[in-house]
Amino acid sequence: MRKIGVVGVGTMGQGIAEMLSKSGLDVLLVERTEERLDHALQMIELMLDKQMEKWAITAAEKKMIMSRIRRAEHLQDLAGCDMVIESITEDLEMKKELFRELDRICPPNVILASNTSTLSLTELANETKTPDRVIGMHFLHPVADIDLVEIVRGLQTSDETYERTKTFVQETIAKKAVLVYESPGFVSTRLICTLINEALHTLEEGVATAEDIDAAMRIGYDFKYGPLEMADRFGLDAVLAALERMFREFGELKYRPSYLLKKMVRAGQLGVKTGQGFFRYDKDGDRL
Amino acid sequence: MNILVINAGSSSIKYQLFEMERETVLAKGSVERIGFETAMITHEPAGKPDWTQVKEILDHGTAIGEMLRLLTHPEHGVLRGIEEIEAVGHRVVHGGESFSESVLITPEVKQEIRRLFDLAPLHNPAHLTGILAAEQHLPGVPQAAVFDTAFHQTMPPVAYLYPIPIVLYKRHQIRRYGFHGISHAYVAGKAAELLGRPLKELKMVTCHIGNGASVAAIMEGKSVDTSMGLTPLEGLMMGTRSGDIDPAIVPFAMAKEQLTPNEVNSMLNKHSGLLAISGFSSDMREIIKAMENGDQNAALAFDMYEYRLRKYIGSYAAAMDGLDVLVFTAGIGENSALMRERICGKLSYLGVRLDPDVNARPSGEARVISTPDSKVAVLVVPTNEELVIARDTYRLARSLKSRQAD
Repeated sequence: MRKIGVVGVGTMGQGIAEMLSKSGLDVLLVERTEERLDHALQMIELMLDKQMEKWAITAAEKKMIMSRIRRAEHLQDLAGCDMVIESITEDLEMKKELFRELDRICPPNVILASNTSTLSLTELANETKTPDRVIGMHFLHPVADIDLVEIVRGLQTSDETYERTKTFVQETIAKKAVLVYESPGFVSTRLICTLINEALHTLEEGVATAEDIDAAMRIGYDFKYGPLEMADRFGLDAVLAALERMFREFGELKYRPSYLLKKMVRAGQLGVKTGQGFFRYDKDGDRL
Repeated sequence: MNILVINAGSSSIKYQLFEMERETVLAKGSVERIGFETAMITHEPAGKPDWTQVKEILDHGTAIGEMLRLLTHPEHGVLRGIEEIEAVGHRVVHGGESFSESVLITPEVKQEIRRLFDLAPLHNPAHLTGILAAEQHLPGVPQAAVFDTAFHQTMPPVAYLYPIPIVLYKRHQIRRYGFHGISHAYVAGKAAELLGRPLKELKMVTCHIGNGASVAAIMEGKSVDTSMGLTPLEGLMMGTRSGDIDPAIVPFAMAKEQLTPNEVNSMLNKHSGLLAISGFSSDMREIIKAMENGDQNAALAFDMYEYRLRKYIGSYAAAMDGLDVLVFTAGIGENSALMRERICGKLSYLGVRLDPDVNARPSGEARVISTPDSKVAVLVVPTNEELVIARDTYRLARSLKSRQAD
């Protein structure tokens, strides 16, 4: 694997592209508009600048990483890639459309991977004529720092596709691969969203303040962030979407999103990205 | 006998082809940016014009194939056929405790180089890739490994152990290994030869000061101490490496600046040394230029570098209870008369007396730069690691040949 296409360069796509380039791979970016591509490249550069401030990389390394990330003019340009990773919005119809097109463009040995956290891989694969090469690669945010990838097998994913993906994850990008079978939320999203939801109920019931709920879990169980700050960092809209999806699919009350979460999303208080969630943040994403 | 010397890095391969009866270089060159569409080949055949080319080279195997094609090319080549290469010598950075001298490569040797990946994660994997690629293109040709650590394997436990729980040594082989051994050994031998005195009778300090830098204490021709340790980070201040610091700085800085182990490692290896103090460069030539133009930070960087190196020289004189010969080599050691002058100026208590004229005269030759009445002979000896690798490979290949003939 030498050249990887990344379709959809929002927060996750940016992290994936930067991590791939840092691993020495050539990366080709696809977005809906020129402006979105420009923005994504700016954000990647900003991420690298922050790492330079922390002495993680040198100016020369930053230049190398940026030089390996290139913009594609059309989706057709992905024909020359060894793998394509999709990380567009979690919208089933948009993803279906994209997989139909990728299936048409990419030769049959190219792995088509989705970074979806809650949608059905099997359903996406079914849109293609070659469902055996469709697989899920679920990265966690921030991609560069979290050394875990959930490899998601759909019903029709072939052993060969799975093995190639596993080798790619463990050797090429040197992350721990966890095999999960298709199920809404897989392991990581399902467990963490349930924890966040329960933290929200605890807050709503007035059991403790947001600050203390987070301190209890952060210090008591050695979490880097408490569940409420975690929700702020994921984006409350993303947490709500994941919970709603799991609630619909499983039909179990334990996944029903807390009413407080819905209210905050309606008020546009989405967490770090809007500066206000359960806590307040500056534009660099640091807690105020 | 023609010997090919290969120095394989993670994305580059450097090579030199030697004719060993007269120890002449027939050709040298490099392939850089391996793994890219724009890899660059540079080939310098003796007596023919240089040749460079940019093309796609995706792995070390292809790079070595390309290199062999150039060596036997009708226009740019220097050999009639690839069978004229009779042995291959590989530079290998880490030989751990397993190798105290150069060896012919066998399946066991390769296994051992692989086992040492943990201790040299950036270097040994690339060396092994180079060895495998050379074997694939030159089957049946003897190959030798020459280690950067081997020369220092004569260090006694008093020098190679760290005063930390001994289980760390037993479980993970955490001890001092030292590097640049090929260079230290070469310049020590060359210095004794130039002085016409037996190596066995001399107490020497050799300063290999280039981009990376280390000092070695050599008694009776054997390394008894050296400034680099488990990794090439210990010891002298370098271009971008800190050298010796209080180890408590690591957890302290990690806590204060919220750094990960990778970040603090990168900070000490790539963002420290001359670069950190000068604020603009890791290159001693640029530091000196700026210092002469009145740059205070550059002057401080220069002074710190010189001070820390001079302290090491003094400590090794103490370690050996005396000093007969001081040798400078590698980029800064060979080229910076100012650095040599500053260091030797404050070693007068050891009886060092530099000849300022000889020191200041640029030359590419090995030479004595101290006065005849200096108690310590000071020399500049240009290093030649490739030649040492070629010589060792030549010796091993010949003894293999004679064993096979018996």
